[in-house]
Amino acid sequence: MNFFKRAWLSLLAKKGRSLLMLIVMSAIMLFVFAGLLIHSAADKATQQAKENVGVTITLSANRAAAFKKMQKSQSSGSSSKPTITTSPVKLSDAKKIAKLSNISSYNATSSTSVNADGFDTVSTSTASSQMGGRMGGSSSSSTGDITVDGVTSTASSSSFTDKTDKITSGRNLTTSDKNTNNTVIESELAKADSLKVGDTIKVKTTSSKKTYTLKIVGIYKAKSSASSSMPGVSDPSNTIYTSYTFANTVKGSKYKNTADSVTFNVSNPSKVSSVKAAGKKLINTSKYSLSTDDASYQTVKASMKSVESFANKIVWLVAIAGTIILALIIMLQIRERRHEIGVLLALGESRGKVIGQFFVEMGIVMVVSLVIAGIGGQFIGNKLGNQLVSQQTSSLSTSSSTSTTQAPGGGMKGNGQAPSGKMGGGQMGNQATSSRTASVKQTNLDVKLSAVQLVKLGAMGLVITLLSVMLAAGNILRLQPKKILLD
Amino acid sequence: MLTIKDLGYWYSHPDDALFTNVNLSFEAGQSYAVVGESGSGKTTFLSLVAGLDTPKAGRIELNGKDIRKMGLTNYRKHSVSIVFQAYNLFNYMSPVNNVLTAMAITNSKHQGDKAYAKQLLAKLGLTEDQMGQNVTHLSGGQQQRVAIARAMGCDADLVVADEPTGNLDEANTKEVVELFQQLAHEENKCVIIVTHETNVAAACDHSYRLAHKQFTMEQPTA
Ligand SMILES: Nc1ncnc2c1ncn2[C@@H]1O[C@H](COP(=O)(O)OP(=O)(O)OP(=O)(O)O)[C@@H](O)[C@H]1O
Ligand SMILES: [Mg+2]
Repeated sequence: MNFFKRAWLSLLAKKGRSLLMLIVMSAIMLFVFAGLLIHSAADKATQQAKENVGVTITLSANRAAAFKKMQKSQSSGSSSKPTITTSPVKLSDAKKIAKLSNISSYNATSSTSVNADGFDTVSTSTASSQMGGRMGGSSSSSTGDITVDGVTSTASSSSFTDKTDKITSGRNLTTSDKNTNNTVIESELAKADSLKVGDTIKVKTTSSKKTYTLKIVGIYKAKSSASSSMPGVSDPSNTIYTSYTFANTVKGSKYKNTADSVTFNVSNPSKVSSVKAAGKKLINTSKYSLSTDDASYQTVKASMKSVESFANKIVWLVAIAGTIILALIIMLQIRERRHEIGVLLALGESRGKVIGQFFVEMGIVMVVSLVIAGIGGQFIGNKLGNQLVSQQTSSLSTSSSTSTTQAPGGGMKGNGQAPSGKMGGGQMGNQATSSRTASVKQTNLDVKLSAVQLVKLGAMGLVITLLSVMLAAGNILRLQPKKILLD
Repeated sequence: MLTIKDLGYWYSHPDDALFTNVNLSFEAGQSYAVVGESGSGKTTFLSLVAGLDTPKAGRIELNGKDIRKMGLTNYRKHSVSIVFQAYNLFNYMSPVNNVLTAMAITNSKHQGDKAYAKQLLAKLGLTEDQMGQNVTHLSGGQQQRVAIARAMGCDADLVVADEPTGNLDEANTKEVVELFQQLAHEENKCVIIVTHETNVAAACDHSYRLAHKQFTMEQPTA
């Protein structure tokens, strides 16, 4: 009849007391577990964000340098009209950067505009198709009514990855559409002209009036954007996607094997700065610039960090409060059981083993509560976790959207993601307003129970039990066996 | 066997000592009663003999060795068994497990021997049925019998009891006292019983009265 067996008999005989202990212990374990689960889910979400949330590096013309050059030529008294001369990105440079480690894929964009030939464009009431040269750019061409966004693949272009645009029928443009005249058009435009996948449209270049026939392979739907009603900017429905090779062809032969910008997808977001540094060594930085965009990743990371820290607080708070509560309960028990303890001591049992009995009793209760917490913790963790995430993301996205609107709208700033790189085309603001937070909101906590979590919880439970018994043990150490004779 | 030398004890001040310069000796195979007025210090004396407290003056020797030198826990474990007025059984166990627990803690030579525990309980008049159920279901007399069985299960040569019959009726008192007598005479234990009942004291082989800070031998009256 050692103290393990005594503990067991005591728990069995005093069912009411044991049940009470079990309820208290389970409540504590449940919240500790929920906290642990949320923490690990947030951790996993951050990990997943690393893999899924697009962190990109964009190679584009170094406009800042070009702008300086222009100012210099102006101040030096040159009589000629000031021009910003930017060079298109060479694809050979892009391929070199693409070979760097941690770059998974890249997407070249080349934009231009053409005029519809034999079909109607979508017009918004206030829209005027006259826009040309507002930016004072170098472009010699006037603006057409159809915006051509040449890409490597539509699926990896920013307006598709941030879900501004979505394919509704047909297919995406892929790398195999290189050197073809395949196109993906917007659903409004398709509707206006009763076009469907498989049909062809004709477009004319604005300068040389050359005609091209494009084959529709897909139709996408654009999220209606506020910029559509902006005067002077053509309706977003008039944007068609083609291979970048087609856009280059329209722009002229000197644009062959170039792009306005090339966006590289970084497979490991934490490596983004080292990748950028390595990339810079491969290019002429006075002509080109590399810019990173990891805003989505940073937003997810920040939101998950705060969920994590909240989960940590839950765990610590419940653990500490739980330890104190349990210690108090054990102290009450020791009072109630002082005769029993006195007899044990009178029989010559060591105080250590008496404390051991209390520890074993609590330990058994803890193990049972572990099972209860294992069942209930996942449920609570899921509810609490997703509540937290929705709170976090909503507060974060409001703060991030206010910060973007307040950002000084310097013309150079926006070049990170905006695929519309052509300066004089008047298509600048077209897609820059795409909502960045769209992908962040979809971050869901996947609160799942795992053996590792249960072991962690068990360890926490053990520490809580040990500490609470140790806190209460002073009462056993102080107990004088003589007292049992006196009352 | 047990020798009390110049023993003194007080709670607050030596001038208010309950007893001083006590010199007594207790022998194996004999039973002793300790009587005295309420508040005279009988229980206090017993707690010293049982190794539950340490004397303020003098010492207690077991077979010539100071029990404090043995270590009081060690002394309680191996040399003395205590029977209480309130029985103080482990209320979450059966009689058998109560006896087994005591045997385990004291490292008795019968440790773990369930048959022996039952044999002891049967000897004290408990039925097989009563042995298996929780001790709280037993009457006072039955519980005190279990407590005595628990004391017997340990190998201690010294058995001390504080008012062991205080909660029992006349018939049970008589039987319990008889059991203590058997412990002394048949098991060769030294039995010390604190009591205020004259008939219990009279049944013992010897009787000491605590009065005026001293123990004096009394002649058995019955
Ligand atoms: N812990 C203590 N602190 C101070 N005084 C105490 C303490 N315990 C007992 N006393 C006092 O010591 C005296 C002796 O107490 P004790 O319990 O030994 O008497 P007793 O002879 O057993 O009495 P009774 O026959 O009523 O059981 C009493 O006056 C009591 O009030
Ligand atoms: Mg007393």
